[in-house]
Amino acid sequence: MFEVRTRWGKLLLQVVATVFVLPFLFPLIVMVQGSFAGAGWGNYSAVLGVPGFFRFFLNSAIIAIGVIVLVYVVTMLASYGFAKLHIRAREVYFWMLLVCLTLPEVVLLTPLFATTQQLGLYNTYLSVILPLAALQVPFAVLLTRNFINGLPDEMFEAARVDGANSFRGFLYLVIPLTRPIAAAVLIFTLIGAWNDYLMPLVFLQSQDLQTITLVPQFFVGEFSNDQTKVLASAVLTAIPEIVAYLCLQGLFERGLSAGAIK
Amino acid sequence: MTESVLHPQRTSRQAASGGRSPRGDARRHRRLQAPGLPWILPALVLGIGLIYYCIGYTGFISLLDWDGLSPEPEWVGVHNYIAIFQDPVFWKAASHTVLFFIVTFGLQTFLGLVFAVMMHSKIRLGVLYKIIVFVPVVLAPAIMAPVFRQMFAANGQFNWLLDHIGLGFLAQPWIGQESTALPVIMVITIWQWTGLTFVLYFAAMSQIDQSMIEAARIDGAGNVRTLISIIWPSVRGTTVALAILSAIGALKTFDVPWLVTIAGPNNATQFLGTYIYQTTIQLAHAGYGAALSIILLVVALVMAIIFQTAGRERTREKKGAR
Amino acid sequence: MHLPFRSKKTLRAVTVAAMVGMTALGLAACSSGSNQSSSGSATKGTINWWGWTPTNSQEAKDFIAQFNKKYPNIKVNFKLIDITSYDATIRAALASSGGPDVFDLQPGARVQQFGPYAEDMAPVAKAALGSDWKSKIAPIAISGMTLKGKLTALPVGSTYAGMLWINSELFDKYKLKPPTTLDEWKKDCQVFKQNGVGCFVQGAAQEGFDQDTLQSISNSVKPGLWTKASEGKAKWNDPTIVKTLSIWKDLFDSGIMQSGALGAQQYPDANNQFLTGKYAMIMMGTWYTQYSTETAMKEAISAAGVSGAKTFPILPVAFPDVAGKGNTSEMYGDADYGLAVASKSKNQAAAETFAKWIATTQDGQQTIADRLDTLPTLKGIKPNFSQIKFVDPSLQSTPVNDLLKKVGSVSEPREALLSADVQNAILAAAQSVAGGSSTPQQAADTLEKAAEAAASK
Repeated sequence: MFEVRTRWGKLLLQVVATVFVLPFLFPLIVMVQGSFAGAGWGNYSAVLGVPGFFRFFLNSAIIAIGVIVLVYVVTMLASYGFAKLHIRAREVYFWMLLVCLTLPEVVLLTPLFATTQQLGLYNTYLSVILPLAALQVPFAVLLTRNFINGLPDEMFEAARVDGANSFRGFLYLVIPLTRPIAAAVLIFTLIGAWNDYLMPLVFLQSQDLQTITLVPQFFVGEFSNDQTKVLASAVLTAIPEIVAYLCLQGLFERGLSAGAIK
Repeated sequence: MTESVLHPQRTSRQAASGGRSPRGDARRHRRLQAPGLPWILPALVLGIGLIYYCIGYTGFISLLDWDGLSPEPEWVGVHNYIAIFQDPVFWKAASHTVLFFIVTFGLQTFLGLVFAVMMHSKIRLGVLYKIIVFVPVVLAPAIMAPVFRQMFAANGQFNWLLDHIGLGFLAQPWIGQESTALPVIMVITIWQWTGLTFVLYFAAMSQIDQSMIEAARIDGAGNVRTLISIIWPSVRGTTVALAILSAIGALKTFDVPWLVTIAGPNNATQFLGTYIYQTTIQLAHAGYGAALSIILLVVALVMAIIFQTAGRERTREKKGAR
Repeated sequence: MHLPFRSKKTLRAVTVAAMVGMTALGLAACSSGSNQSSSGSATKGTINWWGWTPTNSQEAKDFIAQFNKKYPNIKVNFKLIDITSYDATIRAALASSGGPDVFDLQPGARVQQFGPYAEDMAPVAKAALGSDWKSKIAPIAISGMTLKGKLTALPVGSTYAGMLWINSELFDKYKLKPPTTLDEWKKDCQVFKQNGVGCFVQGAAQEGFDQDTLQSISNSVKPGLWTKASEGKAKWNDPTIVKTLSIWKDLFDSGIMQSGALGAQQYPDANNQFLTGKYAMIMMGTWYTQYSTETAMKEAISAAGVSGAKTFPILPVAFPDVAGKGNTSEMYGDADYGLAVASKSKNQAAAETFAKWIATTQDGQQTIADRLDTLPTLKGIKPNFSQIKFVDPSLQSTPVNDLLKKVGSVSEPREALLSADVQNAILAAAQSVAGGSSTPQQAADTLEKAAEAAASK
């Protein structure tokens, strides 16, 4: 985006970017340092030694994948509908969807608890997946709809002339072209699902179903608080998300270079 | 300065596809008459099906004086709402929320946008920088809260840093006093969420037509000019989406102020979100907390509609000016 | 709010949404009547136990393993919920029928809020300990767990506060004596500060620990008045409370409290500062006894982020006579936690067996006692000091044993009498006085108003 031709200009841009990043780095250093304080690597082995750690990890992964798949499918369908198809009073539907974002999680707990009980979902993965997905969808639709709006109508019209119905248009145009925004949606859905603490705590009774976010609890008591191990567990918990971000990063760039929009 | 720089949309349209509309909403394109309702139905069923019951439930108990458990709640009508409007803590929380939204949204937008542009430029160690800005998004505030309390304590690392860069006279107990606690909460929030703003702008910028930027450059536009006249208008949709998300997020703000400062000292970092938690959970005034939640819901919806409509108006004006 | 319901289209949209919503309502609303008649078998079954303590899952497992030696056919699933999320979680669960069979309960706000959804445990206690069961359990633990004549939970452990713990190495190094008056406290702090050592550290952002300090100051001004105010028999703007708040303010102004105390929390902030030797004094209760032992202290220092550090002996000392009236500041205490049996549980008999085992048997209570963080409530059970090693036995043995003896006679409640509303108002008073936004008199008046409003509800 920025074009810098001179050597000084390049250096300046590099310096500006570095100065920009440093304040973000500072708390991370304090955190990682904290995770090695006291027992050093021992903190990490203590976290890995929490009974059922890998089970928790797996549960988090199952829940996150469930939420991602659900959010992706529902969001893509809805965003295409909102952006390119004919819906009367579309904004009203859209606002009704947005309303779902507005209640704080703690207010949702009691009614959701009753709902999961009635649906027979209590103590199953679905009791966490469904509400988490419901809470992620509105913003995902907001973003994706906006992105699809930016795709030229002519493209869809051309597809129609070629005899493609809306579904084919969706499959062969929307899905490939929305990759950059889909990557973003994927990332923050993953974060939302992976980091959620209250829902698994409330809706999953069995120890076997607990998630990775509950691990730090093992080191915080009524009369004790081992921050070094809490931070170590935070580092371990964050790794999959960072890896996912790195993997998906390519999709942002590809959208840029593909020039498929024309 | 050339005309094309001042009217980037026009340039882009001419350059790219000869007069297409910048927005594709089917409202103005009745040629695409396929019904969209079935497409949005799954989202509606999921969202509305699960959450609207909660809204109805919350609306109902907002009319009760109730501890959230007792089998005999007392019906009090709109009394909770009247009490809220006379509650000084509510107004304090509301004013913090507004200030918090303006500052955090403004700074995150600026930082996220500039960073996204820099990362789309040729920069060494770009991947590393991106990770650093992104990592705070994935760290749970519950984990980071003690880290920040330690950093901003009177003998913490932040004062140590100030001391070492010759600003020792600025050192103070940042979160231990009412005057500086709120700014610290804002700083932490910006630290945490700029990564998301960046990721979304970064994705949105992939949609910008390179030829548009090249055309502007041929017209002699510099970097800053390109940023203001081409990139910023092109990502407006994302900005509107982020404004909506930030507004709702600010209204619901809970994690950071609750975990770092417990909404204190003396309510200095009280927000609507923390106040709802405090009244509902800690003080067991479920009815009062529900009424607060409904007020939050209404304000959030109105804000979202205003932002969305305003975003649209701006686009239409541009269109009209053509 | 005015939604733009202007057109037929809009109306149709709303109708569709309403129908979708109604479906959900219908699904959630068809609640089956709760089934409480069957209380299950007393010696077999599976019970779910929710609690914030014991923290260490290994400890919980040990408890359960011990229990299973006697009752092999009762499977206990312990679900650890950290104390900050406990209220939100348990509230949602108790409101439905899928909650725990056994849950932790604490005197004060938690007994008041969740006690109504627990079974009366008095018959259980009677069955276990005989008709004079009340004389066999620490009286303070019983009163705190009692709500409107019902014993909401069997008290498992108890904690007492109202004293300071000091780092005796630091006091020796600077040849200082533990403070007994406000002036001595200030002087000690000056000496520590001159030597670059912190004096007293507290997490003043949190209500519970501020309340301890205020109650101790108040007991030094006029013993017993705090309890009277808690019971509603004295006003919160009584001159004693005003005086208490002005001494509290003095702790901040005279530099006894660490700078920025209002932003600090007791755990992990203040605790880590004290355990890493950066501060010489901290206000903690009997639960801190666990750190007088070599093993626990070593672990705690490592947890505070220092590796391989030498342990130091900590000593309990009386809270200074800050009012200078010659009153020894009374200590106060409560049941730390108790086990409640949920009214909606379908396995009440098995749940009662478990609660009874931990709270009323020698085996259960000895396990509790040896951990030293909470004191057993069953009379006659003592920590087994032959197996527990102090950091410095010659220095610590006497004061720690004296402390454990002394608390046996404590009769003043700590949190049991206060509702969440009053505690919230106490925190507001403490912070506004310390931060300088109100005078002690103003803050006390506001506190009294809030307490009256809460009582009238």
